[in-house]
Amino acid sequence: MEESVDTATAILESAAILLRERTFDDISYRALADKVGISERTIYRQYPTRAHLLAALSNWIEQTRVPLPPFVTVADFRAAVHERFRAFDASPAYAYVSARASAISPTLDAEPAYITRAIEAMLDVAAPTLNRRDRRRVAASLRYFSSAMFWARLRTGFDLDAGEICDAFDRAVGAVLARLLDATWAEP
Amino acid sequence: MAVPALSGTQAAILAAYAELIEEVGSDDVSFRLVARRAGIAERTVFRNYPSRVDLLLATATWIDTTVFAREESHSIFDIPLAIRDAMQRYDARPELAHVVAEAAMRGVSGAAPSSGRARLERLLDAEVPSLDAAQRRAVIEALSHLDSAATWVTFRREFGMDRRDIADAAAWAAEAMLDSIRDRVAP
Repeated sequence: MEESVDTATAILESAAILLRERTFDDISYRALADKVGISERTIYRQYPTRAHLLAALSNWIEQTRVPLPPFVTVADFRAAVHERFRAFDASPAYAYVSARASAISPTLDAEPAYITRAIEAMLDVAAPTLNRRDRRRVAASLRYFSSAMFWARLRTGFDLDAGEICDAFDRAVGAVLARLLDATWAEP
Repeated sequence: MAVPALSGTQAAILAAYAELIEEVGSDDVSFRLVARRAGIAERTVFRNYPSRVDLLLATATWIDTTVFAREESHSIFDIPLAIRDAMQRYDARPELAHVVAEAAMRGVSGAAPSSGRARLERLLDAEVPSLDAAQRRAVIEALSHLDSAATWVTFRREFGMDRRDIADAAAWAAEAMLDSIRDRVAP
């Protein structure tokens, strides 16, 4: 039987609903199948391992539940990340799934996330003359401090709320960008 | 880092599981396989680690404190060098680095997400005691985040960096976090 894309999405929607009451580890394929109203085998066909399910669920959550506002300038980037961190605060379970999915050994498609490309594009415009190594250092640092992983670490390891995490993010971004000479930045 | 004292049996279980993760990945390892590799009965594994998650978290902590053990840093300004070394060690054992990174990202049911925090605080307070609370916190938070397997995973996955580039970028970012306090050391 041909399975529609909708089956895959229906599974993820149900998994996201189940996340409100239990952790990802406690969502069995059995419970998920019951919730969607399909067979367990159909879920295995879509997501052969829990790592596949985790990766797909995280992508779907990031795209539909905590979408990142588009950004072009560094100021927009900061604002977009603040908004996402506040969304994580409202739905911590989503943030943990996202953080965990970005830590696991990649399943199939290890495409960089949208935010990675957006940060690279932002630097291309804002600092067109910056050499390649420094550009990657800056991009990688900004990417890592804007991640669900940073939110999750500060929430569970430091017990911070969204405002404090945004503040920590701003300070880290400030420290990274301060390493570049003023002349690096293109005139707006 | 506080390392829970392990019995000989427990250490054998965790070492066996870590070995198998490197051979077949963490998804496919059964308790039976772990027991056989450790040379003990399956129920002994269950008695020590009742669930898969218990076993995984204990193994991640064991890996982090043995395979990826840090050389002692004597100054907060040495931390970027320790981070550079750590990234190279993660790169040499990629499967284990993923396990450690994931364990720290499981939220409330996970491993300690900033296991090196107390050590960083000790170094910073001894050398740069004049920081206000917000500055101190910012340095500790950023360095804790950088000094972790998640850094290696992110730089590799999102930017396709190799060992040298990851070590360089992580150490560079750590240096950036220290820039504002370089000349504030207590005389």
